[in-house]
Amino acid sequence: MTTRTLAALLLLAAFIAAPLAAPLTVKAQTVPDLTGNWEQDVIAIGQWLQSNGISTVHYTVQAAGDPNSVMRMYGIVEAAYRINQVWQQNGINVQIQVDTNWESSFQKQYDNFVTQYELGQNGDFFVNSYIYIATLAADGRLLDITQWVQAYWNNVFSDFYTPLMEAAKYQGKYYGIPQDTEARPLYIRKDVAQCMGWDLTGLDEKVKNGQFTWADVFQKAKEAVEKGCADYGLIHRKGSAHPDLIQFIFAFGGSLYDPNTGKLVVDREAVYKWLATEAAFADAGLLPRNIMDWDWATQIHPTIVGEKKSAGGTGNTLFDIGGTWYWTEWQTKDYYLDPQTGQKRPLTPEEVKNKFYYTLFPAGEQGKQPVTLSQPFMWMIAANAGKDNPNFDNPDFKKAYQELAFLMVVEASDPIINAVHSVISAHVPVRKAASALLKNETFINQLRNLQLPFSKEVMDAIAPIIQKTADPINIEFLANVSYMLEYTHLAPSHPYYSKLADVFKQAVDRVLKGQMTPEQAIQFIESSVNADPDLSGNVEFTGSVPTGWSLLPTTQTTTTGTETGTSPTTTTTTTAEGGNTALIIGVIVIIIIIIAAYMAVRGKGQA
Amino acid sequence: MMGNGKNELMGPLVTGYKSYILIGVLLLVSLPLILAYSTLIITSFANTIVSNPWVKFNFTFDNWIAFFRGELSTTHARIYSTGEILRMIGNTIIVAAGVTAVVLGGSATSAYAYSRMKYRWRKGSLKLLLLLHAFPGVALIVGVYTIYYYTLVKYIPPQSRTLYSFFFVILARASLEIPMSIWILKGFFDRVPWELEWSVLIDGGSRWTAFRHAVLPLVKPGIAAVAIFAFLAGWEDLIYVMIFLPPNQKTLATFIEGQLASGSLETSYLPIMAAAGTLYLLPTILFFIFTQRLLLETMSGGLKG
Repeated sequence: MTTRTLAALLLLAAFIAAPLAAPLTVKAQTVPDLTGNWEQDVIAIGQWLQSNGISTVHYTVQAAGDPNSVMRMYGIVEAAYRINQVWQQNGINVQIQVDTNWESSFQKQYDNFVTQYELGQNGDFFVNSYIYIATLAADGRLLDITQWVQAYWNNVFSDFYTPLMEAAKYQGKYYGIPQDTEARPLYIRKDVAQCMGWDLTGLDEKVKNGQFTWADVFQKAKEAVEKGCADYGLIHRKGSAHPDLIQFIFAFGGSLYDPNTGKLVVDREAVYKWLATEAAFADAGLLPRNIMDWDWATQIHPTIVGEKKSAGGTGNTLFDIGGTWYWTEWQTKDYYLDPQTGQKRPLTPEEVKNKFYYTLFPAGEQGKQPVTLSQPFMWMIAANAGKDNPNFDNPDFKKAYQELAFLMVVEASDPIINAVHSVISAHVPVRKAASALLKNETFINQLRNLQLPFSKEVMDAIAPIIQKTADPINIEFLANVSYMLEYTHLAPSHPYYSKLADVFKQAVDRVLKGQMTPEQAIQFIESSVNADPDLSGNVEFTGSVPTGWSLLPTTQTTTTGTETGTSPTTTTTTTAEGGNTALIIGVIVIIIIIIAAYMAVRGKGQA
Repeated sequence: MMGNGKNELMGPLVTGYKSYILIGVLLLVSLPLILAYSTLIITSFANTIVSNPWVKFNFTFDNWIAFFRGELSTTHARIYSTGEILRMIGNTIIVAAGVTAVVLGGSATSAYAYSRMKYRWRKGSLKLLLLLHAFPGVALIVGVYTIYYYTLVKYIPPQSRTLYSFFFVILARASLEIPMSIWILKGFFDRVPWELEWSVLIDGGSRWTAFRHAVLPLVKPGIAAVAIFAFLAGWEDLIYVMIFLPPNQKTLATFIEGQLASGSLETSYLPIMAAAGTLYLLPTILFFIFTQRLLLETMSGGLKG
C-alpha cells in the first residue's frame, strides 16, 4: 500500500467518522445561562444545540382537564412553534417537536405521571393542579426552576398575581408557573330573587364589605323556600369537590396550614362553624341531606339551572356554591330541562346572564372577611425533562434541554395565550396583562374573528371552541370576577392535604345526613386524623369548639327546625323508598315468572 | 350418534304456549344486557344520551365524525388529531394481533406435544396449566411489573422503550391466555387419528412436517377458536396496556377508560364516547355473529382431556 493510498484511506475514514462523531462531542463552548431576555436566550440555546450537532429536540406534554382547557396542551405546542420560527429567522437549523398526551381526569394524569416517571416514560411538561407540587417536588420529580424564575422576574413573573406565584413554591423554591386559576363565586338565581321580592342591586359590595354573611344567606334561602319560589335554598358540589366547601374554614377566619411548622391545621372553631352551618341548612330542609351523593350531571347542575319541580322543571335553588367555569359549562351541557319542550338543552349566554347574579363567598359571620378559593393549574417541568434527546446523560446537554423547556413555559405564559385560554375554558387569567386583554375591545374583536397570532395547528384545534365560547357576555363575566383573586385563598400544597380533605368530606356527609352532630363530627375528625399514621404526624389541632354558637339566634333555629317535615328532603327520601319498592316487586315478579316457566317445562317433560 | 346424544342432552322439545313463556323469560332476563348494548349503540347515532325509550332524539353521524376528528366535547375542542385516533385503533390492533400470534404459536406447539408425546410430568404439568389459568391477571401485576421495570430500566435504551413496552404487553397478556388455549387445542389434537401422522413419518417426513401438513389442517376450527379468544383478550385488555404502555400510546380501552374514569365523567360528552364504545365493541359483536357455531363446537367437542 503506497503512502498516497494510505492517506486517501485515512481521509475517507475521517470524512465518514466526522458526522457520526459530531453529536457525541461537546464543544468547548459552555451552555449559555438564561438572562431574562427571551428572544436572546432562545437564540443562544438554539445556536449551542446546533453547534453540538442537534437538529431536533423532542418533548412530550402531559396535560389534563375539561376538553375546553386544551390550551394547557396547545400552549406548549404554540411555544415550540414560536421558538422554531425564531430559530428559522436567525438561520438556526434546529426544530422542536412536541408530542401531546391528554387525560380528562387530572388525578388520573397525576397517577400516570408518577407511574411512568420511574420508567422514564413520563412527559417532560406536566400541566396539573398545584396541589401535586409538594409531593412531586419532595420526591425529586420536578425541576427546581427558582434561578430561572428570578432571571425572568422583572420581565415576566412580576406581572403574575402574587398568591398564585406563592402556590408554585415548595420549601421556598419554585417548581411551577401558574397556568390558570379560578374563583368560586356564590351564584344567586335572579328569577328566584325576583319572585321573593329581593332586590340584588349592590349585594356584591355588601358581600365585599362583610355586611352580608352566611346568616343572611340562610335567612334568604329560607325565605325563598317558604314563599314557594325555590325547591331548595342552597346547592353545592358533592364530596369529590371539597375545595368549594373548604372556603367555609377561611370565611370563619380559620386556617389550614401552619407555615412555621409546615403542618396542616384543623382549626376546631372554624371547622365547627362550617359543619354547624351545613347542619342548619340541612335541618331546615334548605339543602338536600344526601347532597354529597348527588350526581353532577343529572342532579346538581340541573337543579342549579332548572325550573321549579311544580312548573315541570328539575327543581331549583336560590344559592349555589360554584366555580367560575360553571358559567360556560351551563352553555355547553344539556343541564336545563326546558318545561316548554320537555327536552334538556344548554342555556344561551343571555339566559345565563339573566338567571345568575354572583358575589364572593360571603363572610361566615359579622367581623369576618369574604373569601374565594383558587386551585391554580401549573406548568411543571419534570426533573428528567429532555430525557428523550441525544446525550441527555451529558450535564451540558441536559442543562440545554431543560433551559429550553423553561423558555417554552415562559412563552406558553404569553398574555394572549393566557387570555385565550381563560375565555375558552372560563378560567380566570393568572397575570394582569391577560386580565387587561379581556377588557380590550381590539383583542376581543381579534379573538372573535379568529385573528390570533397562533400556528395553524393550534388555531385549527381551538377555532371551534372560540366560536362557541367567545361571547361578549362570557368575556365580561371573566373580567368582572377577576377582582375575586384579591380575596383568594389556596388549599395547602401539602402531601397529605388530600387525605385530610377526605376526612372533612366524610364529616360533612355525616352531619348533613343527621348521623352526627357538629360536635361529634369534630371528634370524628380528631379520631380519624389520630388513627392515620400519615395524618397524625402532619396535622395539628388549634382552638376549641365554641359553646352555644349558632348560625342564627337560637329561637330562629328552633323555628326553622320545625319546618323540616314539609321540606324537599322528605320528598327525596320518599322517592328513594318508592324506587326500592318497585325494584323489590320487580325482582319478585321475575322470580315468579322463572319458577312458572320451569314448572311448565318440567310438566311437559314428565308428560 | 351425535344427533341422538344432543337430543338426549337437550330433553323434549318445548312447544305451544310454553315455548312463548320460555322465550319471554329468556328475553326478560336478557333485558338488562339488551338495554345496555342498544343504549350504547343508539346513543352513538343520536344527538343526546338515549338513556330510556322515551328520550326523543335525532339520528346523526356527528358523534362518529367528532370522534374521528378527536373532538370530544360539544364545543368541538380537539384533544386528538385524526392521526392520533387512528394510532389508538392501530395500537389496539397491534396488541390484539400480537397476543393472537403469540398465543397461537405457543399453545399449538405445546398442545401438540401434550397430545402426542410421552414425557415425565406430562400429566402433572397439564394439571398445573389449569391452575395457572385460574390466576387472575391482576394478581400477577406486581410481579410482572417488577420484571418490566428491571428489564426496561437496565437493558432497554430510551429510544427503544416504546417498542419494548408493546413487546412486553403482548408477551405478558398472551401468557395469561396460553394455558387455557393449550387445553382447548389438546382436545382438538386428541381427535385427530394417529394413522395420519404415521403415514407421514413412514414416508420419511419429520415430526414438524407431520404437525404442519397432516395434523394442523384438521384442527383448523380449534385454531380459529383460540385465535378469536386470544384476539378478543388482547383487544379488550385494559389493565396491562394501561400499566405498561407509555401514556402517549393509548389503545381504545385506555382511551375510553380515561374519558370515563372517576373525575372525568363530569366533563365527558357521552354520545361521542358512545361512538368510541360502539367501535370498541364491533370486533366482539362481529366475531360472535360469524363464529357462533365454531365456538359451540369448541365448547362441546374440543375439551376432551
